[in-house]
Amino acid sequence: MLKYIFKRILIFIPTLIVITLLGFVISVNAPGDPVERMVSAAQSGGEVSTQSANLLEQKIFWRKKLGLDLPVFYVSLTSVSRPDTLYKIYDKSEKEALDRLIAMYGNWPQIQDYYHTTGTFYNALLAFAPDSNQLKTYDKSKISDVINQLRYQSLSLRSTYLDNVISSKFNTIGALLSSYPFFSKLQPQFESLKNNYTTVKTTTSGWKNYIPRLAFYRHNQYQQWLFGDGGKFSRGLLHGDFGTSYVTKQPISDVIWSKIGWTLFFSVLSIVFAYIVSIPIGVKAAAKKGSRFDKFSSLILFMLYSMPSFWLATLLLMTFANPDVFHWLPASGVKPATGYPDTIGFFGKVKLSLPYIILPAICYIYSSFAFLSRIMRVSMIETVGQDYIRTARAKGLPENKVIWKHAFRNSLLPIITVFANVFPAAIGGSVIIESIFTIPGMGSEAVFAIYNNNYPMIIAILTLTGFLTLVGYLFADLLYAIVDPRISYK
Amino acid sequence: MAEETEQHTTAIITKADFSFKKYAWEQFKKNKAAYYSYKLLVLLAVIAILSPILATDQPLYCKYKGVTMFPAFSFSNNCAVKDPKTGEIENIQYDIADWKKMDVESIVFAPVAYDPKKTDYDNIDYVSPGSKQGFTNKDGQTIPMPTRFRHWLGTGKSGEDVLSGLINGTRISFSIGILSMSIAGFLGLVLGAMAGYFGDKKLQTTRGSFWTFVIGLVFAYYYGFSVRAYSISDGAATSTAAMLQQLCISFFIFVIVAALFYWLGKAIGKIPFLHTLVYIPVDSIISRIIEILISMPLLILIISVAAIAKEKSLINIIIIIGLTGWTSIARFTRAEFLRVSNLEYIQAAKSMGFKEFRIVFKHALPNALAPALVAIAFGVASAILTESALSFLGIGVPPGTVTWGSLLNAGREQYSAWWLVIFPGLAIFITVTIYNLLGEGLRDALDPRLKK
Repeated sequence: MLKYIFKRILIFIPTLIVITLLGFVISVNAPGDPVERMVSAAQSGGEVSTQSANLLEQKIFWRKKLGLDLPVFYVSLTSVSRPDTLYKIYDKSEKEALDRLIAMYGNWPQIQDYYHTTGTFYNALLAFAPDSNQLKTYDKSKISDVINQLRYQSLSLRSTYLDNVISSKFNTIGALLSSYPFFSKLQPQFESLKNNYTTVKTTTSGWKNYIPRLAFYRHNQYQQWLFGDGGKFSRGLLHGDFGTSYVTKQPISDVIWSKIGWTLFFSVLSIVFAYIVSIPIGVKAAAKKGSRFDKFSSLILFMLYSMPSFWLATLLLMTFANPDVFHWLPASGVKPATGYPDTIGFFGKVKLSLPYIILPAICYIYSSFAFLSRIMRVSMIETVGQDYIRTARAKGLPENKVIWKHAFRNSLLPIITVFANVFPAAIGGSVIIESIFTIPGMGSEAVFAIYNNNYPMIIAILTLTGFLTLVGYLFADLLYAIVDPRISYK
Repeated sequence: MAEETEQHTTAIITKADFSFKKYAWEQFKKNKAAYYSYKLLVLLAVIAILSPILATDQPLYCKYKGVTMFPAFSFSNNCAVKDPKTGEIENIQYDIADWKKMDVESIVFAPVAYDPKKTDYDNIDYVSPGSKQGFTNKDGQTIPMPTRFRHWLGTGKSGEDVLSGLINGTRISFSIGILSMSIAGFLGLVLGAMAGYFGDKKLQTTRGSFWTFVIGLVFAYYYGFSVRAYSISDGAATSTAAMLQQLCISFFIFVIVAALFYWLGKAIGKIPFLHTLVYIPVDSIISRIIEILISMPLLILIISVAAIAKEKSLINIIIIIGLTGWTSIARFTRAEFLRVSNLEYIQAAKSMGFKEFRIVFKHALPNALAPALVAIAFGVASAILTESALSFLGIGVPPGTVTWGSLLNAGREQYSAWWLVIFPGLAIFITVTIYNLLGEGLRDALDPRLKK
């Protein structure tokens, strides 16, 4: 038995790796630059010039912390024309612009030269200050305005890749430079910038884009995400560290541990309840197949089975938590808005929370309940049709004993195997039910994360629910072995 | 000889008037619930197809100042009308024109004369189906609503007609259900058939051609998708159609490169050492993929993928549901193929020297189709449920699209507007029930083992 469990866990490992990989692929392909958003949320506005010092430092810090300064994965399929070091460029849009330039021209050394000259030109503009003598003759505010424009144009040049846009930016910069005579000392740098770009355009080697190459990286984002970087910024998924939330900048594991309780509570409660109720109903319907009870319960169960949970939830809220109809139960949350009183004990808390739990619990329970009852009924009908049941009846055993003692245990097998379906369904369903009832669980957190493009959170939840599903499978296997002694996992 | 026998058997079958299809249809008809849901489904399909002319504020026919127009059927969106008296040219834009207040000679409106998105200013702020509804006539007077223009199922917050939204939602949920299950059905049937038919020990190839093909797949991916990554993402930025076009080109390149390497592999497979025969564990590979997919919480996976899509569109949702929903179809098909591939007639086909491809798709597949069909019917139900759950949460569907789920979500803002909760929910419920009943009916009719 232990050996079997061990074997099953071994099989889970590749599945888990694939789940983490999928989650990781999703987060890497997510649109937008998280660092840009995190920093701009903290410090909105600001001029181009002030952006340089403080903001850039912050950006670099967050990029390091989120591991975005590393290549994505162990292996990447790239072309001969692409350098190994492109990932080191901090700015996501600059990186894309460079990559697109490579895709167009294929000559990295020349593109690299051009890129560096844009940098030196921008730095020269940042350091540029006209002599105070010269300034006297011109309008001061106009000069600073022109300089700001120049800085902006040359910075945006770095994230531009279309030929006509680049040339028009060159024209703008040229015109701005010629507006005041004291800009003349910047002129040579601008000329070399233009020359470098012309070199890029004239010495194309596009064929290099069509030769694939595999690049290997030992340190990469996936590795850091999974194993951590030795505790400097993250401890890694394997040590229970899911990374940092893009929205609150809190560690994601803290958020998840504080929320997983309610999700697990509702899922487990609903499944236990559904099993307790569905088994007798299924058995009774099957034992009196074709009776009025059977027909009636089949109809009701079928309707429940097809009922969308979000509709039922809305209907329940509309009826029982609506001041216009019956205001019997609260509409949202899991505890009073003011929190629990301090003096109250555990049972007091349960009593206070109970009205909040009733409606979501109904929504959690009914669908798995309908599903399970139907399966129980079918499997009982199959079992009752077998020879040994006929023998038992022929012996003259009372019907009650035949059903509960002889047929019951054997008809349990299918309902146990579907535990592996019911559990993930409950976890998945939590997304909808928790957001309708605003339960502070993982499901509503997932929806919240999606609204806010908080990808690390989404990935963490995806991975964790995948893991829980696998645990559910293992549990179903073990139950199966307990109920059916014929199954020995050797 | 073979043909003769075939003819002979067909003759017997026709004589006894017994064909499996006919038998299954008879069985299906006996199941009243399934049979009526089939009829209801046909009705819903008709509504879905005709929805652009069933519920629109553009009239089907209109005669205005001597000019005859068919706005609801027309592809162009405007019409220049010349006033016969003053000679002024008036340009009428079909989607903007306020048809109900125009001074027309004759006009025929659609059965539901409202657009699902447009505001009816006389009936804003949740007007219930039974209450008084206002209508501003041509002269600018507010009169009680004429029966012809009533909002039979009420209006939403900004006066959108609920019935019109429901009718247009029918089309959306139908296309989602059917298109996504076409993808899933194709994947499930092909992969399930391969897994069940070939197993782990049937598909043999030389070592050389196997590895050449595997390397070829990397190259095919590189030339099809890596090199063209920016073309695809630029296409996605312009429009869904452009993206699909770029994806098709990429897929075409992928197939061509893969095929080239396949032929190359055949040649390489003749080299000594590389010509050793190896088995391809098709079943293990596909079963492992299925196992991984079913241990994913699908709803969470779907919403995360829908969330990263740059542009929200229904096509994305269709593709995601299609790519994740094939597992049960594949499992049923696989089990059926395991059974069928050991039957005598398949061995007979093999002994006649038919190609594997032909045996799988022409001989084995038709017999293994029944369980897949059942799984597809249930799959459509769950696809519709998934879509409405997504639009209920407001994830994945483009903003402004009126679907059953989004209508229901609008009802959550105002519980006193019960018609916004009851009717869309009922529509989802009925459709899902129909497909589930259909699936059950099909299962009972197609599986002779259940025959009493």
